[in-house]
Amino acid sequence: MRKLFLIALKDLKLAFRDRAALTLMLLAPFALTIGMGLITGRFSGNTNTGLSDIPLVLVNEDGGSLGNALVEMMQSKDLESLLEPQVMTDLPAAYALVDEDKTAAVIYIPAGFSDSVIPASGQSTPEEPVQIELYLNPTRPNSVGVIKTILEQFMSQVEVGRIGGQVVVTQLLTSGAIDISQAEAVGRSMGEKQANEAGQSSSIKLNRVTNSGEEVKFDILAYLAPGMALMFLMFTVSYGGRSMLVEQAAGTLPRMLTSPTTTAQVLGGKVFGIFLTGAAQMLILIFGTTLLFRLDWGAPFAVFVLVLAAALGATGWGIFLTALLKTPGQASAIGSAVMLIFGILGGSFINVEMMPDWIQFISRITPNRWGLDGFTTLALGGGFANILTPIIGLLAMAAILFVISVVIFSRRGIGRL
Amino acid sequence: MRKIFAIFWKDTFVRFTSPLEWLFFIILPIFFTVILGAGTGPSDDQRVKLYVVDLAKTSLSENLFSSLTESNSVHPVLIELNVAVSEFDERKVSTVLIIPTTFSQENVINNRAELELRQQPNNMNALIAQQAVQAVLSRVSSAVDIANASVAKAESIEGFSFTSNDARQVYYNQALEQAQTLMNEAPVRMTEVEADTADPVSYDPRANSSAGQLITWVFIPLIGLSAMFAFERQKGTLRRLLTTPTSKAVFLGGTIFGQVVTALVQMLALVLFGIYVMKLNWGHSLAALAAMLVSSALAAAALGTMLGTFVKTEGQANGLSIMLGMVMAMMGGCWYPIELFPQTVRVIVKALPTSWAMQGMLDIVLRGQGLSGVWLEALVLLGFALVFFVIGIIRFKYE
Repeated sequence: MRKLFLIALKDLKLAFRDRAALTLMLLAPFALTIGMGLITGRFSGNTNTGLSDIPLVLVNEDGGSLGNALVEMMQSKDLESLLEPQVMTDLPAAYALVDEDKTAAVIYIPAGFSDSVIPASGQSTPEEPVQIELYLNPTRPNSVGVIKTILEQFMSQVEVGRIGGQVVVTQLLTSGAIDISQAEAVGRSMGEKQANEAGQSSSIKLNRVTNSGEEVKFDILAYLAPGMALMFLMFTVSYGGRSMLVEQAAGTLPRMLTSPTTTAQVLGGKVFGIFLTGAAQMLILIFGTTLLFRLDWGAPFAVFVLVLAAALGATGWGIFLTALLKTPGQASAIGSAVMLIFGILGGSFINVEMMPDWIQFISRITPNRWGLDGFTTLALGGGFANILTPIIGLLAMAAILFVISVVIFSRRGIGRL
Repeated sequence: MRKIFAIFWKDTFVRFTSPLEWLFFIILPIFFTVILGAGTGPSDDQRVKLYVVDLAKTSLSENLFSSLTESNSVHPVLIELNVAVSEFDERKVSTVLIIPTTFSQENVINNRAELELRQQPNNMNALIAQQAVQAVLSRVSSAVDIANASVAKAESIEGFSFTSNDARQVYYNQALEQAQTLMNEAPVRMTEVEADTADPVSYDPRANSSAGQLITWVFIPLIGLSAMFAFERQKGTLRRLLTTPTSKAVFLGGTIFGQVVTALVQMLALVLFGIYVMKLNWGHSLAALAAMLVSSALAAAALGTMLGTFVKTEGQANGLSIMLGMVMAMMGGCWYPIELFPQTVRVIVKALPTSWAMQGMLDIVLRGQGLSGVWLEALVLLGFALVFFVIGIIRFKYE
């Protein structure tokens, strides 16, 4: 066992003394993470990772009860984090804000809207209803979608109120429960009651269950940093595999086997060395990004276990490639290619969920995908129990690749790589 | 000139001795172009994902799901309970709507229908999903709510009571029918007008991917020229050249010429892939295309030449060229649309040749411009080339 550790530590030291390797092991992931942080606005506090503070302009020319209620609802405390409404009186100026892409939409409430829904005493409902206009910005479909949903809910509330009042009064009059003189008062009170309750359906109860835990604002860097770290982890493991082939070509590996060291100890030591280097690289990157960018990776113990699992899964690939390849040059070239392919398939460049289903399926062969799943869950407040699937996935990947590699090595002999 | 060609042939022969070179020369660039072309860009559907678990499987639950699919703000996905719970616990989805087995028309009428909405704490997407679900529920149940309220109001009036349960049911049914009729006949009170806002992001995933990957995969090996110089210096072959009647200009000219010609062949292959496989409009102005390809290749080769005078070993140069190539490609807008970058960053990245190369390539393939539209970008790239070459040549040493 001591020999195994010695071989592993020797490889770990060699890797961290190689300045060229360090460029890709540590400098490149840092540089790309910083670059991604810059272009996503993470460092300027300008990230656009979700919908909030949607800019909206309200022009209320109605001035009636419903027009005012709509403005109040849009400005309510419930929606203050979602919407950023601005009340204006100049309609052309409001339209111009949409045209210039400075706001997501204008809600224009024309004069007479309230009266067209609930006619004033002694007046009848107009033949053509007065319509609220939603002047929308087509370049912001999500923001517009949210505004539309809220507006539709309000309109539905208004309609339910109107119809509710009408139905109740008609039924009561037909049954003789009230007379015509009471109809208007009953209709108005019922309409208001129905309108107020329409948002909360009485016949279908919506039980809201909030997940445990505190509010977690997702930091885009919590996706980008592990993405880059995992991609360059693949470089590290292929670099480790390459070192085995270099030793074979230089004759130090066969020489090692002439000493009282078994093949299993040599192979185990090399594999353990690759694993240690990969894990150390990940931990340094995590420590560095935590310190430099104040990035919260999540529960420390879970992060540590996930790092070990990711390093093990990647080591499996490193050793598998070494078993298949014959020269250090091949290992360098194929290793770099695999690093890039796994990077793009595993979500290091773009979110895998944006890709077609078949790519998402294939991405499961990469440690990047499992690792990123786990790191994202942890960054969003998940705990150890929530990352069991990625951990099991990575361990299974490592086990399968180790078994295949051992079979290949045993066929051709480690000294005759 | 013969010597320059001799150096060019030697470098090309050495480079393509290994079949693996083809992997980086054409296979991976095409792979990346196809994957990024298929999987990037503003998604067609960016609504908030809402998992819906339908345990009831009744016509009412199907109607509810169907109403949710019409929502502008949520994208409902029908899913099994265990998968939904697992992904919810893993924070992969903000909201899960569970429709229990008891969700039926009968229970809605009797006010016993319930739904469960699981939400992540203080999550904006969860709030959006909740709004959408409530809006749909309001539509689905409003007629029943009105009928219930109608009966309740009648019962609350002093001196009025139903003579029997049947009479109460008849009253309810009439109210429900009337409410449904009126709801169906309700006038449209909202109108939508779409503004003519110009999209600030000119983006076509395939065109951006084709142009971006072309630049990325050509810049990295051309910056890698530095590794060739470092290698020859390390091995002493540069010193050996001193014993031959070969000037610095001839050596540099031959090496750079060879790499630039190889890069042009690679770019042409990728352009042809773009034209014939991805059906992109690369070929409408050959002059513009030639100007951009040549100026981009020269700028990248000059950068590699300059870098080669700063690094000591081939290993260092390899690592640096990959890192610099990737960072410059990313910051230059080759992976993600530059229009999405913060304004300050968009100004800063003008200092990178990749940014000008990408802009020029997009002017051709995306915006259909000719030579008059890309002359500035080509000129700036030639300027980069001039500055980098001058520094590289001044600093170049055989030892």
